[in-house]
Amino acid sequence: MRAAANRFLSPLLLLAVVTGCKDKAGSGAASAPAGSSENAPAGAAAGAPAAGGAVIGAALSITGPAASYGAQQRAGIQAAVEELNAAGARLEVRIEDDSSTKEQGITVFQKFINLDKVSAIIGPTLSNTASAADPLAQQAMVPVLAVSNTAATGITDIGNYIWRDSLTEAQVIPGAFKKAKEKLGFNTAGVLYGNDDVFTKAGYDVMQKALENLQIKVLGTQTFAKPDRDYHAQITALAALKPDVLVISALADNAAAIVSQARQSGYTGPIVGGNGFNSPGFLKNAGAAAEGVMVGTSWNSLGTGPANQRFLEAMKKRGANPDQFSAQAYTGVYILAEAIKLAGGKTGREDIQAGLAKVHDLDTPLGKFSFTPARDAQHEPSVQQVKDGKFQIVQ
Amino acid sequence: MRDLFLAYQSLVAFVGINGLLALSVYATLCCGQLSLANAGFMAIGAYTGALITLHSNAPFIAVLAAAALAPALVAVPLGLPVLRLRGVFLAIATIGFGEMVRLFFVNWDYTNGAMGLVAIPQRAGLWTIWLSLAVALYLLARVRGSRFGTALEAIREDETAARTMGIDTTAHKLAMLVLGAGLAGLAGGLEAHYTFMVAPGGYGFARVVEMLVQAVVGGTAAFFGPVAGAAFLTVLPEVLREAGSRLGFAPGPFRLLLNGLILLAVILYLPNGLVSLKRRKA
Amino acid sequence: MEQQALNGLFVGSIYALFAVGYTLVFGVLDILNLAHQAVFMLAAFIALALVAVRLPLWAALPLAMVAAGCIGLVLERVAFRPLRDRADSNISGLISSIAVATVFEAIAMQIFGPDISRFSENTFPDRIIHVGSATASLLQLCIIGISVLLMGALTLLLARTRLGRQIRAVAESPRAARVLGINVNRVIAAAFFISSALGGAAGVLFGLAFNSISPDVGRSVELKGLAVIILGGMGSIPGAVAAGFALGLIEVFTVARFGSSWRDGVSFAVLFLVLLARPRGLFGQAAAREA
Repeated sequence: MRAAANRFLSPLLLLAVVTGCKDKAGSGAASAPAGSSENAPAGAAAGAPAAGGAVIGAALSITGPAASYGAQQRAGIQAAVEELNAAGARLEVRIEDDSSTKEQGITVFQKFINLDKVSAIIGPTLSNTASAADPLAQQAMVPVLAVSNTAATGITDIGNYIWRDSLTEAQVIPGAFKKAKEKLGFNTAGVLYGNDDVFTKAGYDVMQKALENLQIKVLGTQTFAKPDRDYHAQITALAALKPDVLVISALADNAAAIVSQARQSGYTGPIVGGNGFNSPGFLKNAGAAAEGVMVGTSWNSLGTGPANQRFLEAMKKRGANPDQFSAQAYTGVYILAEAIKLAGGKTGREDIQAGLAKVHDLDTPLGKFSFTPARDAQHEPSVQQVKDGKFQIVQ
Repeated sequence: MRDLFLAYQSLVAFVGINGLLALSVYATLCCGQLSLANAGFMAIGAYTGALITLHSNAPFIAVLAAAALAPALVAVPLGLPVLRLRGVFLAIATIGFGEMVRLFFVNWDYTNGAMGLVAIPQRAGLWTIWLSLAVALYLLARVRGSRFGTALEAIREDETAARTMGIDTTAHKLAMLVLGAGLAGLAGGLEAHYTFMVAPGGYGFARVVEMLVQAVVGGTAAFFGPVAGAAFLTVLPEVLREAGSRLGFAPGPFRLLLNGLILLAVILYLPNGLVSLKRRKA
Repeated sequence: MEQQALNGLFVGSIYALFAVGYTLVFGVLDILNLAHQAVFMLAAFIALALVAVRLPLWAALPLAMVAAGCIGLVLERVAFRPLRDRADSNISGLISSIAVATVFEAIAMQIFGPDISRFSENTFPDRIIHVGSATASLLQLCIIGISVLLMGALTLLLARTRLGRQIRAVAESPRAARVLGINVNRVIAAAFFISSALGGAAGVLFGLAFNSISPDVGRSVELKGLAVIILGGMGSIPGAVAAGFALGLIEVFTVARFGSSWRDGVSFAVLFLVLLARPRGLFGQAAAREA
């Protein structure tokens, strides 16, 4: 039996070595040097010493449904760590995959807290995973910095060790809709949202309220599920009601296909999207159909602050497309570094926790950054519109 | 050592929960029925337990009892018609049922749809989980050794023959479906109170496939096989994570690949599951 | 309404093409091949890669189908043939097919990444055609046409050719077929080749139609495919064709009438009720041996 297993497994291992070492073609983001492990200090790539520095854990969705966001976040984190270490910091960030599931998220958190003895944790990518894993960090008194959770409840209200640098939907959407209404002038809307996903459902709930407050009449609401690829039926049903505007809450992948199919089936009115649209993947995949789409964002790609310029430069160097997710992850590392600095260079959990409370007006790609008393992010969101294949900020 | 235990305590907990789930699939498999409704049963148990905890001061034991009882009650009207179906047809009908349960929770505003229920207090610990598993194992061992168990064996071998021998096959199959539903609901209730939250996304088709795979990989010839399979497949990703980081693999597709290959190897080379490995060596 | 009917026919044609391959293997082997959706996905990626190296679409589609067929042969050899004599082959086959599907998905993820990939914009001429009050793109009509053509070809193959007769004989009883001197292994391999080639064609057309291909794209049709083969009757080719179109129309009209959150629920409710009321499906007699 064992011989048989060996015969069977050895070529497979070889195959695994071949496929495992080759970097993923689709995203230049995962540009760890060949052969270096994700677990090795990311800083080592920049040749900086890690010994004696702060060890930070990052739980990201490298596989599973949120993998495209995880890849962007990894790129942002690696860029920030390299820069900071080149400038003399001693940061070591361990990136682990939470597989987009709450179980793996919990396991990764336990490992970070008890085995790696990290000083702080970045992540996890999804709000659902955060609701399951963050309480463990709270119990163990390890500061967590969420860099992409947008659910209004169930994140920072877990406890005083949970912080976040991502704006919630409730902070972005109402303002964005107000501006969109001023610019586009609509009074009726058709709404389409993903009802089986936390991110898009939470977005929808906020949208519904925002539309009500702006006294925009919702003529019809349709839903889709994450695995769907065909939205013709929903679009036809909504278009038949002749709304002034189409409001969509969808993840980037779904969003591109929805917008393409809406344009293809002859809908010519304006489209306003939710947070999921803020991705280079959306622009690339929707192509010409994306023209004119308006969306609120917590990251202003045209921000002229030095931090944003540095971020754009760093992402360009890695061959990665900058987006809101990489910007927020990149910012997360800088915020933690700042917290360590404000704690007098000490890297204990309590030191970082105390330091985070003092972070004030830090220059980041997201703008001047400070936390609210509830440890949420606070900065001006912007509204952008697709023009000539690029997001342009709407003034 | 203590740190190592603390770091992997959640893994120990998930082995217990997944063990219960694998047993819940085994409950029907051991009379030859492939029922895949268990993710749905689990969801019903998890939501029932979570709602009771969030809205009352009921003791945890009562919460768990309700989590097990609710899906068991649903299993009766479900089982009466679907258990007439055989083989793959039963599997497909129960997949349909499971998906309908998931869609129900996706569309139910009272439980926040896709967002589910969060901030559920952590009331389940390693003790509760493993004690539940022990009780389930004891129950199944008793069933196995009884006349009832012999009847199940007969149904598994040849249903028509069993019926002519005077065995009430429907009642026996239904009893095991109800037992499986109860175990899945119990596991759901435990998980909800261990992971602080429930959401419909965790109860899709992929989840029941996971349970089935764990049961079969462990081996369904013995009642402890499914637990062994659950332990193996729950721990495997973590071992691969460690091995991957030592050998310098990027996390990601590599783990998925090895998971698939190991599953294939087990099903091809160990027809009676992992538990047969020990016997062969002996 | 006309527009919705067209939408339904369009998605229905792809469901049907996916399901005929699914049901063919089921009819022959009595096994649910859960890797069918992974072959569907791989074929879409293969066509994408071929088009990316400037192969015209009319050449890429058949090539991707052949590639999918070959993947089907590997699938049969690795995941099904070794299990054929086992008593629980329908359960262990189910699991080995899940294992292979996982491997396929990992490979696709490694090569193409987890994100959505797309055909470039001018892969197919962008032309809108008016049918009554409804509009359709040339692509949509071609997809319906190609699906119907392929399904017709399969029906002819099964009814008229030597291979078709052999496949039907093996489906009826492998033992009897062997006695008649049929090489059962070869016939089963051929059935897998055809099934996977058709599943692959469905994948390519799906990829073209909705232009978003990702390693998990097969998940969206996997359970729909199940509903279709149940509705049509397990193992019945004409049943799967009719049921594919029917499910497409049912879904679309559910969206139009009751709203889309009911859509998937209605599909599963149909599946469930058909199984309880008429386990052999609408075209049951073709699959009489199933009971």
